[in-house]
Amino acid sequence: METLDRRAAFRLAGLSALGAALAACAPDAAGGGAPKGDAAAKTFGFTSWSLNEEAQKAAVQATVDAYAARTGVTIDTASFPYNEYLNQVTLKLRGGQLSGAVQLDISWLAALAAMGRLKDLGPQAAKGGYTDVALSSGRFQGRQLGLPWTTGSIGLVANTELLKKAGVEGMPATIEEFEDALRKVAGLGGGITPYAAATKAAQLKDILPWMRTFGSPLMEGDTITVGDDASVAAVEWYKKLYDAELIAPDVDRFDARALFAQGKAAFYDDAVITRGVVAAQSPDKSLTEKMAPLARPVLKAGDTPQALLWGHVIVVVDGEGSDAAADFASYATSDTATVAAFFEKVKLPPTTTAGLADPKVAGDTFTTEWTEKITKTATPNPFWRYAGYAQIETAIAEQVQAVLVGRSTAKDALAKAAETAKPLQK
Amino acid sequence: MNRRLTDGQFAWLLMVPGLALFGAIIAYPLVSALVTGFFEQSLVRPGRAFVGLANFADLLGGDFWPVLRNTLVFTLGATIAPFVIGYALALALNTGLPGWLRGVFLFPWVIPGVVVSFLWLWIFNANYGVLNGLLGTHVSWLGTPATAMVAVIVTKTWASFPWMMVMLLAGLQTMPKELHEAASVDGAGAIRRFRSVTVPHMRAIAGIAFLLEFIWNFQHFDTIYVLTGGGPAGATKTFAVAVYDTAFKGFDLGHATALGGLWMLLLLVLMAFYLRKENA
Repeated sequence: METLDRRAAFRLAGLSALGAALAACAPDAAGGGAPKGDAAAKTFGFTSWSLNEEAQKAAVQATVDAYAARTGVTIDTASFPYNEYLNQVTLKLRGGQLSGAVQLDISWLAALAAMGRLKDLGPQAAKGGYTDVALSSGRFQGRQLGLPWTTGSIGLVANTELLKKAGVEGMPATIEEFEDALRKVAGLGGGITPYAAATKAAQLKDILPWMRTFGSPLMEGDTITVGDDASVAAVEWYKKLYDAELIAPDVDRFDARALFAQGKAAFYDDAVITRGVVAAQSPDKSLTEKMAPLARPVLKAGDTPQALLWGHVIVVVDGEGSDAAADFASYATSDTATVAAFFEKVKLPPTTTAGLADPKVAGDTFTTEWTEKITKTATPNPFWRYAGYAQIETAIAEQVQAVLVGRSTAKDALAKAAETAKPLQK
Repeated sequence: MNRRLTDGQFAWLLMVPGLALFGAIIAYPLVSALVTGFFEQSLVRPGRAFVGLANFADLLGGDFWPVLRNTLVFTLGATIAPFVIGYALALALNTGLPGWLRGVFLFPWVIPGVVVSFLWLWIFNANYGVLNGLLGTHVSWLGTPATAMVAVIVTKTWASFPWMMVMLLAGLQTMPKELHEAASVDGAGAIRRFRSVTVPHMRAIAGIAFLLEFIWNFQHFDTIYVLTGGGPAGATKTFAVAVYDTAFKGFDLGHATALGGLWMLLLLVLMAFYLRKENA
């Protein structure tokens, strides 16, 4: 009896193992055996951080639903919070668990492209009618790996009502005028943060345009210049604002938006998306009418205002369903009715000539003003060309934070940041 | 049919599925990770290059020591505080406090760690946090190195004192009442009874509970990551956060696994203590 039980156990184990092996080899229910790059694929994925953000979620979902209804496909959506997005997408792509279309910040393209799994979207780009600047944001080493969804800039936005209350006449144009305006706003009291600048490491990359404002090129050829006199002066100025409580501790983009939306900050840095975000969060429904973009103040009159180029692209992971996903990416970014409707909901400017000429877009004063004052002189971050750009920015951000909390001097901290960043330039 | 296998052989055969699973999901990744520590390997770029002990040398010459110090400060703080609070509450519940309070005190323990961390993130927020609102201050609790570590320890203490309380209460309830009665008859006061009766009786269970909590805190990740992300300026960066940041933000698998290897060595020492204590 004992012998029979053992045999039965062995047989059962053997059959289970065989079953598991067969199951592993079998095509999956989702059509794992389908030819790769199948344009007729009926299911593909779309990964997007915007689907995780209240202000944009409905608009993005509407685009997804409209495409699905039009073509009869099923789009499996996934999302992660913005600050975790790059890690999650990188891990999934490396693990072979990411497929279909993927929304990317333009700064992340090099990191994802280095993994060699993105589809060349040259054919879609050629017929999309995109502007040259927009197309360049999705290009990496000569290949069009992303279709531009929105192209703009990150710049300063002001609450004109608070400035008026504080007695600030006109928009500050120089650093001196800006500091003066901040002091006047601080005089209002009531827990108002004059400038809700980033002070948490996650968004301290916002210091980079200020470094440029003070005259640091950030990079010359292949040499990182962070640590030069100009960047040190910028960080010392930032620290001065921090110590004088003109900027607040413990602030990232989301805190800054919350403070601004509550009428508790006079200035903060954001992309052109700011209006939609503030409108969604603010109890003051007229706040968006009091918002105004301003050119970043310059060191001396006549200097060029600095701003960081910003935007989203949609990339497609090569493999199953990638042709269908590429068609979706093309539709979401270049179908004029779709991009105009998307703009109407979230105020993100489109990237095609036809989209920009649409009356809904061209007639929007805030966007036009933003383009004129901020995007016009915006430049890309020179570190974006490296797959390890995020590490370079983190190295700088952590050292700037060390200066703000009094753990290091600006000179020592930036020298250390440059030293850490050097081996990451690959 | 004759029996062909001895009982010992059959026992080993029964263990094969478990061992295979262990090998696939524990041993192989562990060995693979340890080996990666000897290579320069990126998460995003293909290929890797053997660098010998260079990754370990880099770490021991730089980030390892501040991270070790932060880990020890956090681990000690987040173990001692809940131990003291848990012990005090266990004593109170064992003597006079009503039993339903046990349920109330267990509440923080049943809330998921990330949720607890978000609650405290809101409490400690410098600009619109509850704590500054109550105190009428404008302190950057999470943005200042000195207060950030304290804030993280307070949060972890709030989440873990109930477990300590339950463990110690269970130990107290196994103590024969006669021991205390006899000590009272001999004229011992409350403090003397605690020192001479309760403490010796509780030594074993308290030691195990303390050591387990210490080991868990040595590996703890979520509270620190949610509250401070290891900042400001690395002031709360422990091994768990440093390994995560190096691997998944820095994409540097070589240094991350080397740091993980050093971290594991330290944990093995703690495990040896634990096993010795348990066997004793």
